[in-house]
Amino acid sequence: MVSSSDLKQIAPCEWEIPDSYRSDMRVPVRLFASPELLNEVTRDKSLEQAVNAACLVGLVGPVLVMPDMHQGYGFPIGGVAATRYPQGVVSPGGIGYDINCGVRLLASQIPYQEARSRLDDLATALNSFCPSGVGTGGHLKLSEAQVKEICRKGSSWAKSAGYAAEQDLRRTEDRGQLPGADPRHLSPRALKRGSGQVGSLGSGNHFLEIDLVEKIFDDQAARAMGLEKDSLALQIHCGSRGLGHQVCSDYVKSMQSAVIRYGLVLPDRELVCAPMDSPEGEAYLSAMACAANYAFANRQVLSFHAREAFESVLAGKVANWDLNLVYDVAHNIGKIETHRISGEKVQVCVHRKGATRAFGPGASELPPEYQSIGQPVLVPGSMGTSSWVLRGTEQAMQRSLGSCCHGAGRVMSRSQAKKRIWGEDLRRDLEGRGITIKAGSLAGLAEEAPEAYKDVDQVVETVIQAGIAAPVARLKPLVVING
Amino acid sequence: MNTLTRGFEEVAHTADLEIKAWGENLNDLFISAVEGMFHLSGIDEYEEGISDVNETIALEAMDYEGLLILFLEELLYRLTEDYMLFKVRKLKVSDNFSLKANLRGIQIKSYQRDIKAVTYHRLNIQETDQGYFVNIVFDI
Repeated sequence: MVSSSDLKQIAPCEWEIPDSYRSDMRVPVRLFASPELLNEVTRDKSLEQAVNAACLVGLVGPVLVMPDMHQGYGFPIGGVAATRYPQGVVSPGGIGYDINCGVRLLASQIPYQEARSRLDDLATALNSFCPSGVGTGGHLKLSEAQVKEICRKGSSWAKSAGYAAEQDLRRTEDRGQLPGADPRHLSPRALKRGSGQVGSLGSGNHFLEIDLVEKIFDDQAARAMGLEKDSLALQIHCGSRGLGHQVCSDYVKSMQSAVIRYGLVLPDRELVCAPMDSPEGEAYLSAMACAANYAFANRQVLSFHAREAFESVLAGKVANWDLNLVYDVAHNIGKIETHRISGEKVQVCVHRKGATRAFGPGASELPPEYQSIGQPVLVPGSMGTSSWVLRGTEQAMQRSLGSCCHGAGRVMSRSQAKKRIWGEDLRRDLEGRGITIKAGSLAGLAEEAPEAYKDVDQVVETVIQAGIAAPVARLKPLVVING
Repeated sequence: MNTLTRGFEEVAHTADLEIKAWGENLNDLFISAVEGMFHLSGIDEYEEGISDVNETIALEAMDYEGLLILFLEELLYRLTEDYMLFKVRKLKVSDNFSLKANLRGIQIKSYQRDIKAVTYHRLNIQETDQGYFVNIVFDI
């Protein structure tokens, strides 16, 4: 077990586990954490998991861990690792089962004061237009050919089917369409699971949330993003549903033998991987792109339904009920990117497992309106607490592979949370604070209680202090729909 | 644990769900793991015998751990796609890393929790004097 004495402080909020810590490490581990958060991360196995990730073949630069880190499986949640493309490995478990789980933020010009009396109606409408909960699929029933089309085209499919506008694509990572997606690399089961779930939220920690833009820290950036103080905004958090889970399961299974074939020795079988230029590696990257595109399309169709819900409640009641996409970020994904690492410009596959891309100003991947401010970085808080809109910085490009935290990060297991917190009490408490809750189940609600998570403000303070993101706005929750 | 019974218990995990399963032999260990997984799905209770089915499945893998994951994944897929809860009637794990299982499938109306996947994280079936043990982490 890694303890705090194994960590070397290299900056006020940056710590290193040297590669001498364990003989099978190929690179060091660097973590971003305030001294307070550091105490919490040494309590579970997240650092040991980061050390395991540092044993992968072809790593370039240290394995990074964000301050919202916590124990996962294989990689820690909050882990970022770059492997040289194409000789290095790609690890499906290092990206996760919910491929391209991500979050998007939509801004509005709806004044809170005018919408205040209609928040209950908005909650009911959102709940009815946007399917959510265990085992609940979307409104669309798709043929296998349509699922394949979605996997190839992602948000571009959504645009041609009338669910997206050009601005939605421009403000989504990779325009919502990862290249190289070939559905021939998907199993029949993956395709079958994709037939009924586009436009559905799922369950667990997936949510829809109406927020109030409570405070602006950076006027120029907020203006570019369309965020106005005291207006409403909407967040959508979900991923690639059963199709993505099946892709990851299929490839974690098939790579169990690939590691033997390629002579790769690993400290944990969940880290199985294959060189990206091997048939197995190429097939996985292509299948992962399919699942990522499915997730982009999923969030886009949910946005369409959310816009319908807002229109049904607010049309004729407020001047402008449009919801404009600020940005859509993936936080479980592998991306082929070019970074300058140890002075060398190198093409790598950046595994982000519970971490958000956070490119700084001038990155060619950003749309024109974000060129001067950097990429919007969305950090949802736990239920009932603030969420943050940040922006990527030049420092992030130099120190964190253009990456940042993705949320608050859990500290308490689900069973502990359920034992300590009653869903009904939590609902009453949140409603007492003016937050309307719609939840699939009260037990599920208790599992997502704010006490089960770190303080998101501390996490955000850490990344700001470390310089890998800068604050733009803070959002306060008004309506939470928990799958 | 002194008696050679089979069973499972939930183990604390920060974000996902983990069970420890045990059994006198591999057959019992696999049955315990199946029961543990369906327990985590939140379907301990169900209506008896509306449309029960009888199924036999055969699987093979590279090792016992891989076989266990394959078996659990198969039943998880049937749960999420077909809303079927399975009870093991008879199960035989063979030493060539294959299994044959006779199952009773029970149609259910709903379940409480989506399990995204059965992971290989730190998966290691341990044989002790008291029987077989394994910890399994489920992504949820």
